[in-house]
Amino acid sequence: MTDKYKNTDQIISEKGSTKKSLIPILQAIQKEHNYLPDDILKYVAKKTSISAAEIISVASFYSQFRLAPVGEHIIKICTGTACHVKGAGQVYDAFRREFKLPNGIDTEESGTYTLEKVACLGCCTLAPVVQIDETTYGHVAPDQVGQVIEDFESQTGKKSSKKARKADGSEIKGEIRIGLGSCCVASGSEDIKNEVESVVNESGLRVTLKHVGCVGMCHQVPLVEIVPNEGEPILYAKVKPEDVKNIVENHFDAPGLFTKTKNKLLNLAETIQTDRNWDGVQRYEISMREKPVASFLGKQVPIATEYRGIINPVDINEYIKRGGFTAMKKVLKTMSSDEVIDEVKNSGIRGRGGAGFPTAVKWGLVKKQKSDVKYIICNGDEGDPGAFMDRMILESYPYRVIEGMVIAAFATGIHQGYFYIRAEYPLAVKRIREALKICNENNYLGDNILGTSFNLNLQIYEGAGAFVCGEETALISSIEGNRGYPRIRPPFPAQSGLWGKPTLVNNTETLAQISYILREGSDKFKNIGTEKSTGTKVFALAGKIARGGLIEVPMGITVKQVVEEIGGGIANGRKFKAVQIGGPSGGCIPAEFSDTPIDFESLSEMGAMMGSGGLVVLDDTDCMVDIARYFLSFTQEESCGKCTFCRVGTKRMLDILNNITTGKGKKGDIEELEHLAGWTKKGSLCGLGKTAPNPVLSTLKYFRDEYEAHINGVCPTGKCTDLITYSVNDECIGCTKCVQKCPVDAIPFTPHEKHWIDTELCIKCDACRVVCPVDAIDVK
Amino acid sequence: MITLKINNKQIEVEEGTSVMKAAQQMGVEIPNMCTHNELEHFTSCMVCMVKDQSNGKLFPSCSVEATNGLEVVTDDDEIKESRQTALELLLSEHVGDCEAPCQIGCPAHMDIPKMNRLIAAGKFDEALKVVKKDIALPAVLGRICSAPCENACHRKTVDEPISICLLKRIVGDDGNTVDLNSPNPTGKKVVVIGAGPAGLAAAYYLQIKGVQVTLVDKNKKAGGLLRTAIDDEILPKNVLDKEIDLIVKTGVEFRGGEEINTELFELFKNKFDAIIIATGAISENPEIFGLKAGPKGIIADRNTYETSEEKIFAIGNVLRSSRMAVRSVGQGKEVAFSVMQFFNKQGIKGDPRIFNSRFGRLVADEFAEYIKESVEGQRVLPENGGYSGFSKEEAIAEAKRCLHCDCRAIDECKLREYSDQYNVNQRRFKTSQRRNITKQINHGSVIYEPQKCIRCGICVRLTEKYGEEFGFTYIGRGFDVEIGIPFDEELEKGLTKIAVKVAEGCPTGAISLKKNRE
Repeated sequence: MTDKYKNTDQIISEKGSTKKSLIPILQAIQKEHNYLPDDILKYVAKKTSISAAEIISVASFYSQFRLAPVGEHIIKICTGTACHVKGAGQVYDAFRREFKLPNGIDTEESGTYTLEKVACLGCCTLAPVVQIDETTYGHVAPDQVGQVIEDFESQTGKKSSKKARKADGSEIKGEIRIGLGSCCVASGSEDIKNEVESVVNESGLRVTLKHVGCVGMCHQVPLVEIVPNEGEPILYAKVKPEDVKNIVENHFDAPGLFTKTKNKLLNLAETIQTDRNWDGVQRYEISMREKPVASFLGKQVPIATEYRGIINPVDINEYIKRGGFTAMKKVLKTMSSDEVIDEVKNSGIRGRGGAGFPTAVKWGLVKKQKSDVKYIICNGDEGDPGAFMDRMILESYPYRVIEGMVIAAFATGIHQGYFYIRAEYPLAVKRIREALKICNENNYLGDNILGTSFNLNLQIYEGAGAFVCGEETALISSIEGNRGYPRIRPPFPAQSGLWGKPTLVNNTETLAQISYILREGSDKFKNIGTEKSTGTKVFALAGKIARGGLIEVPMGITVKQVVEEIGGGIANGRKFKAVQIGGPSGGCIPAEFSDTPIDFESLSEMGAMMGSGGLVVLDDTDCMVDIARYFLSFTQEESCGKCTFCRVGTKRMLDILNNITTGKGKKGDIEELEHLAGWTKKGSLCGLGKTAPNPVLSTLKYFRDEYEAHINGVCPTGKCTDLITYSVNDECIGCTKCVQKCPVDAIPFTPHEKHWIDTELCIKCDACRVVCPVDAIDVK
Repeated sequence: MITLKINNKQIEVEEGTSVMKAAQQMGVEIPNMCTHNELEHFTSCMVCMVKDQSNGKLFPSCSVEATNGLEVVTDDDEIKESRQTALELLLSEHVGDCEAPCQIGCPAHMDIPKMNRLIAAGKFDEALKVVKKDIALPAVLGRICSAPCENACHRKTVDEPISICLLKRIVGDDGNTVDLNSPNPTGKKVVVIGAGPAGLAAAYYLQIKGVQVTLVDKNKKAGGLLRTAIDDEILPKNVLDKEIDLIVKTGVEFRGGEEINTELFELFKNKFDAIIIATGAISENPEIFGLKAGPKGIIADRNTYETSEEKIFAIGNVLRSSRMAVRSVGQGKEVAFSVMQFFNKQGIKGDPRIFNSRFGRLVADEFAEYIKESVEGQRVLPENGGYSGFSKEEAIAEAKRCLHCDCRAIDECKLREYSDQYNVNQRRFKTSQRRNITKQINHGSVIYEPQKCIRCGICVRLTEKYGEEFGFTYIGRGFDVEIGIPFDEELEKGLTKIAVKVAEGCPTGAISLKKNRE
């Protein structure tokens, strides 16, 4: 065989040559070539038992795979919910203009950049977010895309020094904790980490430097916490690398001498990748006792996120020190499987994946099955735009999820299992991989766990990107190497799942709460939350609030408490309009119902849903028809295409919404939309289609007048660009700022005179309105 | 064994039987499109929804096994609406015509594409047989028809329409009428009053259905306006006489010079089993045998031509004056269905026309696809001018220009059958621009038209089952998923073993047999 296919041969021999290896094979090929070349795929078809039809059907199903070559660098524009409401669409358009991309083409002419919309980068609090290769830019405004590219190009080739710090346990004066969740990393915590390492190394300070998982306060990233041996810990938020030296020196006396030159050199090497470059965000010094922090954390009850910001994600000893694995030991050594299930049943815990199916019932079903082989799967295929709690849990508390899986497997008689994690979550995959390795080495996994007779082997399966794979039958189909097509239930996976064997599929967050229940007792868990919805739920709080982030709150907390107390109210003095709960499967709850408790029943009564746990706060500038259209366009895009009602129904609903938001709506459209939404709900095969109409139905329920206004050609909030025009009012002082910002020269250069906008040329990018110092731009 | 109730009737089935199969076993057919007897259930089309009576929930009957105590309803208003909505959604992306637009545009709904193909193959006699199924006077209409069919021809929007009328004329002129098998006499007697185009056609179609027809006219010779209102140069009398003669020869009793007054009409009511009035446009002071009439003429049902009185039907200009002879001829054919239904006490529905999918105007890119099955070039003109008609060679050349717009699966398409049954509206979800039609014809026995596909996956599953090397596969996901051959290979490579089975398994005309409708 020619050299050309040597690597492919290698990949096949590593991954296997049957269908179940197909997705890993394709992932490896893409890693090598950046896309999936035809000739290599044909070669795979020839060399394996996988047919050409199977290869193409799978390669074209998952969004991770590309069948055409792409540019050298990939620019990912996040279009998650938080980014959407903060103008991601305009940022995307601005990149298209910058590269002069014609319709249907995503790669710029020279082949340097390819533009890609992605569902969620999981940095909602930095919205709108753009990622170029591995570099993340936050708070990107449409007129900054040129700067972003410039900055990226100035960074290429440079490498920040990644010196590992030598650990020295003696004479520790304190601890410096650096958040290393994805948000923190995206906002530049890696640089901070490097800087702290450098400063500490240079100074010879005797402090412990500690990497902690997500703290949840994503609105303040990057975070550095200084914990001196004496005195109160102090949290520094939105830290810049140049602040690091001051912070460190302020708290710890340096035994050695700093040389100014060295510091200067260090500062030069910094890579700064967020809005800090152009926004001049001020540095906060916040103490845990200060009010905003206290109220952000005050109402929260960490169970899945226990010890957040305190423990190092992959340090098993620390996990053990903090009570980790005690529940598992207790279960394996002192309890019967029935006792475990009873305890879980008594806790009242329901699946955190969205629908709220009682966990103990599922376990009981699997336990009942007589089969030589059964599987457990941790469902970490979180695909909701704007929700990233699974990712955070996997990244920050890998051992807790593993412990939950061991307990679940013990209770149900399972000895093999998978972590199904999106390949788009590389950090989560890495941390789980590391944690699995350490657990196997320390006998927390594998054969005869902790000297008992119980065995459990876990491995990772990287999902290739399909929202529908959050549905358990689709997820199973995907692990088997197929398109992620769901199938009708019954039979339930508990009866016939992976490879036809009984399979327990539990959501990541559910598994992360299991050890708490077994360790602290089910009564303690049950006392948190409401009668029917016990315990806590993790939400990704984002949107128009002052403080966003990941929060873990007791069930039954009201919408108002979350928005006002935890979130600090609406940002920029705007008015609270609604919350969108549950992402594309959920719905909106308007401000007048903000006393609604957040629990499974109350939410569905309101037409919303727990869903994945996205919680996006909307203010009076948000158009509810646009929000409905946004969510529906997501589900429409993610529909697998198997059944008629979802494949065509969501498309026709979206057509109607597109018509309504672009001024082509006509009488009867709202009624037809409602009717079709009802049938899509009733007629779809799986949860995706059955819940896809929720955002539409709930906004129709509470904001029908906005729909009617659109039919009459008016978007009340001025969000739907086809229904609005920009003009200059008499406040104009002729400062030409708008002229300079306008990307299409629609405002003539007339200094000291009142400006005017050529509406023929205007692309409604909003740049003029944002830059105007005197509110002279009208949007009507 | 499993015991369940379907539509309140108890039935026992073997364990593992689907609800759909259980229903079939007791003779209840549930519509379905994505099922195939050689394949596992797939749950895609969602047309087979039935209701679980215990909780009122709908579920796809193909994929759910019958269980003890299950009570199922297979057909109520909600289920009907569910099927109708599913079909309307499927039709909203089913870009294709069932009957060709020319056939739909023809008031007599003549099977024009089939005539064209027979002419192109030089089979003029067979072409005449096709024509006479719908048009009793082809040579006459071939000279005088205003040809609405040519206006509807897809080729018209991008090129010049096929010269359908002249093609029909040469078929009428040169084709030899194949002797019709004399049908079993019904013993019924019908009188047709008025021997114009409508009356002649009605007489012809009833006579060949085994009815004894008496055709009366106030003039001595039959033909009505055809004889009196048309220039001899356009319609020579010998052409008219020849075609009338062919009609009379089927056994029709023609009585010329017989004016029918009210008295005679009353006599006819006793003497005949049915009466068809085809007396032509009414005069200022209408005398219409005591039937309900409006200012334009007798009021009759638009589809069945029943008048206000039982067993009396009315067709042609007596309903409404029209210069379009083909309309009258078409009505003559259609009323024959009504009269037969009346005799057979079936419930009078008229001509059994069923649902037709239509996609609208052909665009230039699509013409390039259609031309794959046709020939380039403008329309052929008769060498000796329009009045002389085509020579056989000219006719063959012109007929070859036909684009084959009619669907090959027209008689076995489930989508069409159910769309008719559930009375769907194809335009309901016409909410965005349709896809462009493409055709893949590079295969010996089948043709693939992807835009007619409803993504049921039967072809994908069949080619997988039978181990085709390439076969069909899904490409993409969601609404944009397409069914194609991997690596853009030719159709021939995808279907090497089971092309016919795949075409026969396709529930629509997406993959169809080339030989169909030849």
